[in-house]
Amino acid sequence: MSGQAIWAIARADFLERTRRYGFFVTLLFAVFLGYQTAVGHLFMQLDSYRGVYTSGWIGALMAMVITLFVSLSGFYIVKSGVQRDRETGVGAILAATPLSRPAYALGKWLSNFAVLAAIVAVLALAALVMQFVAAEDTHVNLWALLSPFLLVALPAMALTAAAALCFEILPGLRGGIGNVVWFFVWTFALSLPVAKENSPLDPLGMITVMRALTAEAKKYIPGYKGGIAFQIDVGHHAQVAQDFRWAGIAWTWESALGRLAWIAVAAILVAAVSQLFDRFDGAQAGRARRAPAAPAPPALNSPARGLPAIPAAHAMKLAEVAPGSSFPAFAQMVVAELRLALKGYGWWWYAVALGLLIAQIASPLSATGVVLGVAWVWPVLVWSGLGTREKTRGTQQVVFSCPEILARQFPAAWIAGILVALLCGAGAGVKLALAGDLHGLSGWLAGAIFVPSLALFLGVWSGTSKFFEGLYMALWYVGPMHHTPRIDFTGSASGANAVRYALLYFALSAALFVMAWLRRRVQINGLR
Amino acid sequence: MQLALEKVSKLYGGRLQALREFQLELKPGVLGLLGPNGAGKSTLMRILATITRPSAGRVLWNGTDTAREPDALRKVLGYLPQDFGVYPHLSALEFLEYLAAVKGLEQRGARRRITELLELVNLADVAKRPLGGFSGGMRQRVGIAQALLNDPQLLIVDEPTAGLDPEERVRFRNLLSELAGERIVILSTHIVSDVEAVATSIALIAHGRLVAHGAPEALLTAVEGRVWEVLVPSAALNELRRQHLVSNAAHRSDGVHARVVAEKAPPGTLKPLEPSLEDAYLAMLATHRGTAEARA
Repeated sequence: MSGQAIWAIARADFLERTRRYGFFVTLLFAVFLGYQTAVGHLFMQLDSYRGVYTSGWIGALMAMVITLFVSLSGFYIVKSGVQRDRETGVGAILAATPLSRPAYALGKWLSNFAVLAAIVAVLALAALVMQFVAAEDTHVNLWALLSPFLLVALPAMALTAAAALCFEILPGLRGGIGNVVWFFVWTFALSLPVAKENSPLDPLGMITVMRALTAEAKKYIPGYKGGIAFQIDVGHHAQVAQDFRWAGIAWTWESALGRLAWIAVAAILVAAVSQLFDRFDGAQAGRARRAPAAPAPPALNSPARGLPAIPAAHAMKLAEVAPGSSFPAFAQMVVAELRLALKGYGWWWYAVALGLLIAQIASPLSATGVVLGVAWVWPVLVWSGLGTREKTRGTQQVVFSCPEILARQFPAAWIAGILVALLCGAGAGVKLALAGDLHGLSGWLAGAIFVPSLALFLGVWSGTSKFFEGLYMALWYVGPMHHTPRIDFTGSASGANAVRYALLYFALSAALFVMAWLRRRVQINGLR
Repeated sequence: MQLALEKVSKLYGGRLQALREFQLELKPGVLGLLGPNGAGKSTLMRILATITRPSAGRVLWNGTDTAREPDALRKVLGYLPQDFGVYPHLSALEFLEYLAAVKGLEQRGARRRITELLELVNLADVAKRPLGGFSGGMRQRVGIAQALLNDPQLLIVDEPTAGLDPEERVRFRNLLSELAGERIVILSTHIVSDVEAVATSIALIAHGRLVAHGAPEALLTAVEGRVWEVLVPSAALNELRRQHLVSNAAHRSDGVHARVVAEKAPPGTLKPLEPSLEDAYLAMLATHRGTAEARA
């Protein structure tokens, strides 16, 4: 394995990424996160208090922001390096060179890591700015401020970069399924060390920060017994414990090396998983069927006697076609989009969807929200194709050169997405209707329209399905699964405000559809 | 039926000029669009197919500006792009049915036509197989079928024979010739023999400019009496190439028989030759390159 080859792969991939528009958006995302933290919309709370904004506190806070947000979203941001090589055909060229699997994988991992490190760098800068803007403690201790970035955030990013690459390499996890699975893996990685506080497994560094912070906080916050709440809120601020001027994590050689070891773990993981990499050999590895014996070929020097002429194609005999009248043609378009969206799933997919439908009807009305939530996570890959299918499958030129795309095909695809939501959630809908729960029914309908609208919007604007897959899973987890009012798009957590929130979701869906439509218009008019 | 390009230009990123004041008027027939790599052929095709808007100038379909009213052309357009994808889980039949719906075609008539088109492109036997398992040539034939779905008045085909085997190539050429009667067909390709076989007129494009446009005979007349068969020793071939435009060369027992395009018979000329379209194409490109260099 040559270091030069690893460096070359990493450098080329990083340069390619940084010269794309997406990298600029990634940096904007980092600036946005930094800003939200600096203005106090993201904060750590110990009971109802927080410490003074010292270098130590701000460094740890930013490290937690990275651990919580960038480790999840960063996966979706960097999971594209191998896919790009497949799509551009560069992979086929690389496969024909002596480049080893580990060298390729480590190069791609380093590039992933560099992109995530760029986000960390932006947030480190934001941390410095934040200390001056907050001005609660103007003494800057650079080590206390930056060490959480180096020793907490960067190892976590190395692991995220490795996970993204491993998911791209492993055949079953390459596509949308992997994007959904990552959400659960990430949730598990976060919850495991928190559930077992003394566990040495702390890949994302949360326990490191928590232990250091809570031990010190007990001395200054009366009645504080431990635990940290990480808050995302607008208009709600923790009280400042004025005496708690935290100097930051007291690193020892042992604890620092323990954190840095996760970078080595990430590299080892990548090298190990690379052995399963197919080296861009897309051919199915199934057993070849025995072909019937072919007749012996004629000798090359045998005279060509009685060769049949190549049959001419008689185009003029083709049946005539006429444009369909507007409504049947639109209905036909909706059916075609629905068929396209649902194509490619095995019988088991439909069996599970049917099972979830029965569960909605069989479950008590009080549990409808959760069951509906589960039923609406099942078609996530159907929705994530909305707005992106033409790009990912390369049918843009063929489809966009057809007439009235914006008036027919685009809304038809959206309606097909809504129909999928209505069909998969029909059990809950029927149940709410039979119970005469019109408020609940309005929430159900709003949710069925909102989810495909979000998918269409994110798909058209980002050109990829993974952002919807990631964001939707996060929304689904916080909303329907945790019954969080406002975020629960099924409407089951809205209580007396069900109609109000349903109207809000209807309006939001309309806005998302309009924005998606406007973007598609630009794409179709070739104004990109 | 008329397609007119009025001083069409295309700039990418405000700097890279892909097309420069391209002017052309087309009536029913097959136009062969020839040009070297990067000449602007695909940009021109994309503009004609309403995928890309020109930076300046207009494309008029029967007098209607296609940038302002693209649907006027899209309703009667068949377009086979150079690079296109398919939905791998759909069969050829389902993919064509989907595109028939996208094109807004009446369902019953479209079904009959799809069946016939699948016969026409020799895919009837595999019509129900998922496209994901198709070879490049089979996908290309699906592309040809979709371009003919709506019985287009304007058929634009960009490198249509790429990936086709020789037999399918001949079938496709025959098909284009038959289609040409009542419609405008624009065929962009690097393969001069494809153009030679079917084109009723030829447009030559280089550096985003229209270098020549006319009937194949007119282009051939331009090099009439300027093509020679020259015999040189193998060692002298490179020198001959430096001095003259050599369109072909074949090693024989007595030396190299070179096909040379030149005003006067070069030393070693065996006989004058009948000019081919490839000779005319290369000669015109060389003249254009010389003029462009002199201008620079």
